[in-house]
Amino acid sequence: MKRSKSHRARHILPASLIIFVFIFSIRAQSVYNFDSPVPVLISENDSLRALAIPAEKTAARLFSQKQSKAFSPRSKIVLYVTNVNLMPDEDASAFRVYVEDAKKRKYRFPVVKAEPVSGQEWVFALTVELRDTLGFRKQPEANGDVLIGVTWRGLASNRLRLGLGKTGGAVKDDAEAAPTPFPGSPLVNYSKPSNSKFSVAEPEAADRTRFMEQATFGPTAALDANIKRAGFSEWLEGQFQASYPTIPYPDIPLMPFNEPGNCNGSENPNNYPPDPPDLYPQCRRDRYTMFQVQNWFFKEAFYGEAQLRHRVAWALSQMWVVSGIETQQAAHMVAYHKVLSDRAFGNYRALMKEMTLNPAMGNYLDMMSSTKDNPNENYAREILQLFTIGVFMLNQDGTLQRDETGNPIPTYTQKTVNNFTKVFTGWGLCEVSGPNCPNRAIGAPNYKDPMILKQSNHDASAKTLLSYPGAISENIDANLDGAAELDLALDNIYNHPNVAPFVSRFLIQHLVTSDPTPAYVGRVAAVFDENRESPSQLKEVIKTILLDPEARGSVKTDPNYGKLREPVQLATNLMRHFGVQSADGAAQSDGYIAHMVNQMGQNIFYSPTVFNYYPPDYVVPGPGINGPEFAVMTTGTAISRTNFINAVVFKNIGTDVNSQTGTSINLAEMRFIAASDFTCNQLINALNEKMMHGTLTEQNKQTILKAVRTVPRTNPMLRARMAIYLIATSSQYQVQR
Amino acid sequence: MKQNRREFIKRSGCGLGMAALATQFKHFGLMSALAQKADDSQAKAPDDYRALVCVFMVGGNDGNNTVIPNHNSTQLSNYSTYYNIRNADGLAIKQNSLLPISVPRMGGLSYGLNPNLGSITHGINGGIYDLWARGKMSIAANVGTLVAPMTKTQFYDDTVKKPYQLYSHADQLTQFQSGRADAQTFTGWGGRIADQSAARDNPNALVPMITSISGAQLFTAGEDTFPLAIVNAQTSLSQVLNPQGFYGTAISRAQLEAFNELRKQNLDGNFVAAASNITEQAMQANSALSTFQEISVPFPNTNIGNQLKQVARMIKKRADLRVNRQIFYVQLGGFDTHIAQIVGQGTLLGQFSQAARSFYDEMVKQGVSDKVTLFTMTDFSRTLAPSGTGANVGTDHAWGNNLFVIGGAVKGGDFYGGETSNGTPCPSLILDGPDDADHGTGSRGRWIPTTSVEQYAATLAKWYGLPDSDLPEVFPNIENFPVKNLGFMQA
Repeated sequence: MKRSKSHRARHILPASLIIFVFIFSIRAQSVYNFDSPVPVLISENDSLRALAIPAEKTAARLFSQKQSKAFSPRSKIVLYVTNVNLMPDEDASAFRVYVEDAKKRKYRFPVVKAEPVSGQEWVFALTVELRDTLGFRKQPEANGDVLIGVTWRGLASNRLRLGLGKTGGAVKDDAEAAPTPFPGSPLVNYSKPSNSKFSVAEPEAADRTRFMEQATFGPTAALDANIKRAGFSEWLEGQFQASYPTIPYPDIPLMPFNEPGNCNGSENPNNYPPDPPDLYPQCRRDRYTMFQVQNWFFKEAFYGEAQLRHRVAWALSQMWVVSGIETQQAAHMVAYHKVLSDRAFGNYRALMKEMTLNPAMGNYLDMMSSTKDNPNENYAREILQLFTIGVFMLNQDGTLQRDETGNPIPTYTQKTVNNFTKVFTGWGLCEVSGPNCPNRAIGAPNYKDPMILKQSNHDASAKTLLSYPGAISENIDANLDGAAELDLALDNIYNHPNVAPFVSRFLIQHLVTSDPTPAYVGRVAAVFDENRESPSQLKEVIKTILLDPEARGSVKTDPNYGKLREPVQLATNLMRHFGVQSADGAAQSDGYIAHMVNQMGQNIFYSPTVFNYYPPDYVVPGPGINGPEFAVMTTGTAISRTNFINAVVFKNIGTDVNSQTGTSINLAEMRFIAASDFTCNQLINALNEKMMHGTLTEQNKQTILKAVRTVPRTNPMLRARMAIYLIATSSQYQVQR
Repeated sequence: MKQNRREFIKRSGCGLGMAALATQFKHFGLMSALAQKADDSQAKAPDDYRALVCVFMVGGNDGNNTVIPNHNSTQLSNYSTYYNIRNADGLAIKQNSLLPISVPRMGGLSYGLNPNLGSITHGINGGIYDLWARGKMSIAANVGTLVAPMTKTQFYDDTVKKPYQLYSHADQLTQFQSGRADAQTFTGWGGRIADQSAARDNPNALVPMITSISGAQLFTAGEDTFPLAIVNAQTSLSQVLNPQGFYGTAISRAQLEAFNELRKQNLDGNFVAAASNITEQAMQANSALSTFQEISVPFPNTNIGNQLKQVARMIKKRADLRVNRQIFYVQLGGFDTHIAQIVGQGTLLGQFSQAARSFYDEMVKQGVSDKVTLFTMTDFSRTLAPSGTGANVGTDHAWGNNLFVIGGAVKGGDFYGGETSNGTPCPSLILDGPDDADHGTGSRGRWIPTTSVEQYAATLAKWYGLPDSDLPEVFPNIENFPVKNLGFMQA
């Protein structure tokens, strides 16, 4: 299949640049080959001012440009960057330009063009428009110097001054700033603005740990050894094949809509399920709440072999949301989760159909009660808005398309929703005898088998669906069979150009970084598109996401890179670092921690609304950047996070009526390390590798060591606990970078 | 009690006023901006106390079954008009169970409130109903998201811009909270009021101007404003933000010191800085909240009851917290009654009414009932024509809605808002009629609002003390609406 048409212009790489890339890759490969070079923003000679010229000026002016000058807001300027090597499709959308004013307010300026400087191809000219695109604040004031810096693949350049409106003002240069004049050859070796920021002691190990944070529920020593042996690609192949789940799904019977007094389904022992009355005191907890599914989920996250599938299914469950708030009978959630895990590496169109007919979804978004005479538009609206295309037209790199007045362009109207509502009428729970409904139980709604069509309830009038260039099944004729029509309608949605960038960006946000560059989204969306007929479409997409240069690398320095760990990831990562086990350490944990994760703002399988625990477009007040998980980070949950860590690190989660095993972490190794080195330097270094992939600064270490050393050396366990507590509660750890 | 707090402050290094704190944490964009505004501001802090309390009904409360015509006038839509559309499917509320209110703006005609807004079985008070007769409650009628005033003709000829994504939960909820319907924004009108006024009105505050008992919401987000987010009254105020595991020992003090110190490091990463900033606010507020005095009026033990109870506790502590102006946000979910509405909505309105009444009574007891105004918002109203029948009958997403304003400063006992096609604030209950945005057969009754969210909000903001000059900053589209004060608040 052909690679989809890119909206972005492609460059022909000049020969000299190819040579440069070649040189670089030879140099890099001998050490470690997943780190991209760190971009360097070029300054004027002997100054900390960015070399910049108005975009309309010709390059000839470039080298006579000596004196400082200011630029008017909204004008276009050219900045110069070196020490980057672009892939063939990589263009302006791979770069971001961040600006900070004297009041420490942050802005992002659009990069509209990136091209190598003719004859000096080791330097790239970035054309930048001097206006904010974050949209969170008003435009910056044109009253003096700002600091401007470039990021590329999650790596930040040095920052230099740029006069906005005028030069001067209160802005302060970065402490380590030094002039970075125009390099006469590709081999000029700039001393990195701050070496501590751009390197870690063990780059390969650091990148493996970062990879595990992205692809699993947390790094473990065993997993790390596997990945080290196999390499990323081969390990991924193994994950795509691995059998799932390791911990069997809980076997939860279908239950009547209303919870019976004895909670066994019926007084009649011939009926299903056949428990005798009152024999099972936890019946309500197990069958009418998500208790068993939650425990299973965490146990699988702790110990499952097919970590990647579990992780991707978890991400998808935050897009195709159903909630135990709406459907109490727990059996539905298992059937629903099986669809997500089965399809996690499969074809998105197939997932769309299975989810549409899934009875949990049917109940959650009311499709199962939507008929010709009483249509309900809930599912029709949400499948468009939340599960496939979103409300505004997107470019293939996930950025918004805009009309000539600069407004986003809606993808559909109320009329479209009305037409899709008709498409989805007539489906109901699988309640007929026979092989089509194998799991049916008399007296209990069938939340296990896919919904079935009752044609007489289906609105068979003609319909007009989504319109887009090359639209498939835009018009549906009257009097079609409802099942055939459903396929046509799903084809109509699936072929909409928004699906690839919409789904791609969502998955990147959940695995890697909250605010990926358009270039990254575009690369993933292209793979989504190339594989649109493939049964392993999402497998290719996931692979691309995790191996992309914006995901890989030993350390990321873009100020907006990464994501706040959602409560689930915070909990599982912390526990997997330190051999999660039962409270007494004699066995595995049974996974009973959902009640504590709930305190942090994420009650799993009980999403508060169809918009998930946090919306994908949430913007963090202050910096004004996209960070979905921050929607559940408040003063209240910030303290809940520290309290969770306190409970796990200093105590354990004890046994009780809900948990026969309890849960704890195993600190034997850390205690040993603490005991064998009274300075605690080894302890802090070990934790730095394990938890922070080597990114603790010297200042961080000294701060922690000062506290840890107040603990008598005779108590190495308390020393270990305190060090872990301080790292885990730090914002530096709370953010996955 | 004060000693305890001081001790803690000493230990944790917290406890400065927001402005002073800002200089300490000058890396935080938020804090520095607050400090900047405090420096810029020449205006004096107010010498009285005022608070706005937003109750958001999530999911879209059905306004058509909240306020119902209870008259037989032939000039306006009357009870029969309503009954004829809703009764066949079992959604009409019986006329003899309505709680009658007399409405001057409607020529003294009788309207009826949903019976769950009065005394209910197992209730602990009489509900909000009798606040109407006592002049402490009013209704803003047919309020909704608008870019500019709009008639049905304009709705169809596209000469006036429509709110984006009408009838969509996420988008309409967003527009109600952001206070603008023409474009997506990342700030809410509560947050923007705080951006403008926090430094001026609360110069020495120990907590942010906005407190949410339901997490961070768009309404509470400003450019520089994070809300204080705490859980409801099931947790005591002194425990809501209390980090566990710290004791008075030297080792524990060292641990706390390092815990606090790490928050000042690595602030060049924006996510790291944002997380640190939120935790810092929590630690700061924790020391301020370490003691509190319990309130005396009983509240219902429901989610909304416990949320409003926590608000009442905060208000009781206002002097300690050194706040002159506060905005609170609470929410009650479950109003998306596509099915089983009679029981579903009835239960929720009952919970709201019981909790709001306790809250009002507690404000009277605290002597601030005329300083505190509670108001409702919700995603949208619901279709007049039902979906489904019988016990399962429900309604779908619609538009213009009836909202409550409660408090001693409210000009109570009346309807407020712009005029619909019939010259009153109430739409004519006619499917495909002049007030229905739907057209043709199959029209379901989605009322085109005659009062915008901005007008409703600006009226409240004006009472709160927002200068007129700040209005366009907070409500960018307010100039599209000639009336900027609906008049339901006393000066």
